[in-house]
Amino acid sequence: MSDARPVTAPIERNAALAADAPPVLEVRDLHVKVGGQLVLRGISLVVQAGEVHAIMGPNGSGKSTLAHVLTGRPGYEIVSGSALFEGQDLFALAPEQRARAGLFLGFQYPVEIPGVNNAYLLKAALNAARRERGLTELDAFEFLALVRAKMQLMRIDESFLGRGVNEGFSGGERKRNEILQMLVLEPKLALLDETDSGLDIDALKLVASGVNSLRAPSRSIVLVTHYQRLLDYVVPDHVHVLAHGRIVRSGDRTLALELERRGYDWVGGEAVVA
Amino acid sequence: MAVRAQRRAQTGPLERILADFETVAAHLPESIVARAARRRAAEQLRQLGWPSHDEQWRYFSLRALDRLGTFIPAGAVTGSASAAVAPVASQELAQQERAQQELVLQELALPPSLPGFERRVYVDGMQFSGDAMPIQPRALEPSWLPEQRLGFLGDMFAVDAAVLRVSGAAAIELVFVTSARASGTAVYPRLRLELAADSRVTLVERHLGEPPALTLVCATVTAELARGAQLTHYRLQQCGRTTLFCDTLTARLHDEAHYRVRQVAVGASAGRTSARVRLAGAAAVASWHALAVGRAEQVHDCMLKVELAAPRSRSDEVFRGIADERARVAFSGHIHVEPSAPGAEARQSLRGLIEGEGEVDLRPRLEINTDDVSAQHGATTGRLDDALLFYLLSRGIDPPTARALLKWAFLSDVLRHIEIAQLRTEAERSAAGQLQDVLAVGAVG
Ligand SMILES: Nc1ncnc2c1ncn2[C@@H]1O[C@H](COP(=O)(O)OP(=O)(O)OP(=O)(O)O)[C@@H](O)[C@H]1O
Ligand SMILES: [Mg+2]
Repeated sequence: MSDARPVTAPIERNAALAADAPPVLEVRDLHVKVGGQLVLRGISLVVQAGEVHAIMGPNGSGKSTLAHVLTGRPGYEIVSGSALFEGQDLFALAPEQRARAGLFLGFQYPVEIPGVNNAYLLKAALNAARRERGLTELDAFEFLALVRAKMQLMRIDESFLGRGVNEGFSGGERKRNEILQMLVLEPKLALLDETDSGLDIDALKLVASGVNSLRAPSRSIVLVTHYQRLLDYVVPDHVHVLAHGRIVRSGDRTLALELERRGYDWVGGEAVVA
Repeated sequence: MAVRAQRRAQTGPLERILADFETVAAHLPESIVARAARRRAAEQLRQLGWPSHDEQWRYFSLRALDRLGTFIPAGAVTGSASAAVAPVASQELAQQERAQQELVLQELALPPSLPGFERRVYVDGMQFSGDAMPIQPRALEPSWLPEQRLGFLGDMFAVDAAVLRVSGAAAIELVFVTSARASGTAVYPRLRLELAADSRVTLVERHLGEPPALTLVCATVTAELARGAQLTHYRLQQCGRTTLFCDTLTARLHDEAHYRVRQVAVGASAGRTSARVRLAGAAAVASWHALAVGRAEQVHDCMLKVELAAPRSRSDEVFRGIADERARVAFSGHIHVEPSAPGAEARQSLRGLIEGEGEVDLRPRLEINTDDVSAQHGATTGRLDDALLFYLLSRGIDPPTARALLKWAFLSDVLRHIEIAQLRTEAERSAAGQLQDVLAVGAVG
């Protein structure tokens, strides 16, 4: 568990990357309806390469909606606004194309898919991403070698490979499995929707070390969380508060500490005024 | 020819069946079904009438039987054009028949036999090789429920029968092939299983063949499991699209007998299984896991009645059906817990998956006549779950593969219970052939 040490300072951004490259994610004034109701009411968010952002906010404020819309889940109506991924119009891409381009969603509620085995899904997903990047597909041996190492890191038993996706997994195991998938796919931008919820303290450290192991100048992470606790292990560059479908406040990690102390009423009230 | 066609148009299938029976009855082998028993079967069918408006027969395309050339079994007809019917009892003719079948068989290119299984091949309902066994006709007289009435057809016309009497352990593979020679007629595969006390049998029953014209395959299966006998019965229906497949099964279990059925229905233009399993002995167990995958205009219809008639008898039913394009898939599961079955346990899980314009009809029916019983049942039909689909897409899997995977997943509840690896691969392959999407054999967890 020693590898779960806190990363205290943002990783130095690679100068060459930062120079002219567009942000990894650029969301502008996004309005989204779900079930006929306006749930996102003008979200703007810029994530640069190498950054870690945390999004906090009360239940029902639209955090998962944002993550779903960005990854292309059907059922959401984009009323106005835009989202660019490395300068590319995200909404013009199908969900699987977004994934292959390097966008990853760690689900708040990972579904169980009995009958489709984990190893099969991981390998198919990895090879789809590799094809996209012009890399050769991994054969069964290469894949196993790669996935074993990542499983050890996440302390997931190898027997899980032969089981159905999340089939009979405990809540914590599902969350660890999301992180495992992320580690195998090495996305450019990972949106982790409450991956820390429902984890015991050891699992939380595991998840944090998994996330930290992915931190790199070329990768970005957006953490949706309710708890400051995760941010002790994965230290964010920026913290945003989402309330009523808007980002009502942004700041550095001290904002998270302040939220913990004062609760959402504090920012919610300000949001109404603003 | 024109006269014949006219006669067809004017009379219903039942009249034609009875007329064809009269034509051939005198020549049908007494050793397979006694003449009197054949007559009784014909009479019972006549009394029951042709199932036209019956709810239980809504799906199986009885109409298609109107287009069938004859109900006279292929095995009872000679190759000669002039003689319509010849006695099969003639040793000489039988030899000749066998020789013809041999030629046919070579063209059929049967799939390789399963390792460790004793294999018997039946062509057009007649045993192709192996030693004939003496049969006691008495033992072959089942009684059929009204929903099973096509079983009477088998009793009336059967020309051969596979009879397996097993004590100890055995692994047997039976392959029923409908050849081009039977094209346009009917074949009546007949199977009788008698398991002695404490015997253990694994049986693979496969139906294959692609006759060029519409052909009826009308199979009858009867099984008797003595005390403590265990039968695992794999049934693969992989007939070509010109086949009308109709299969009628009855099984009777004595104390502590255990009957496992793993059924895969993918072939034929229309298929119907009418099965009855009677748990007559205490603590007998039946487990029936079936899948059906239909596409284009195919019909798969299964009627299963399980009768729990003794204390502590248990039954477990799983059905998974996929109807793609305009296919229709139906499963009617009737569980009857009789007053004589305290401590009985019945579980039933029926699920249907609809793609395109497909139709799935699941009819669970629980009839309980005792207080002391534990019953669980569920029947759901729907389309692929969007949440599951999105999960796969979000991992970069393309939509056709994602859909195929989820269909696999859906079928896996049945496929995973096929314990013979080679057979499971075969079942997966034939299910795969029924799915439009890119297939991922081996993805089943
Ligand atoms: N399919 C839907 N139909 C109708 N309303 C929906 C639908 N999906 C989400 N909503 C509503 O949108 C709002 C935002 O939901 P969302 O899941 O984004 O919240 P959240 O911020 O992730 O909350 P939590 O912290 O509880 O996970 C909620 O009020 C929710 O009820
Ligand atoms: Mg949420």
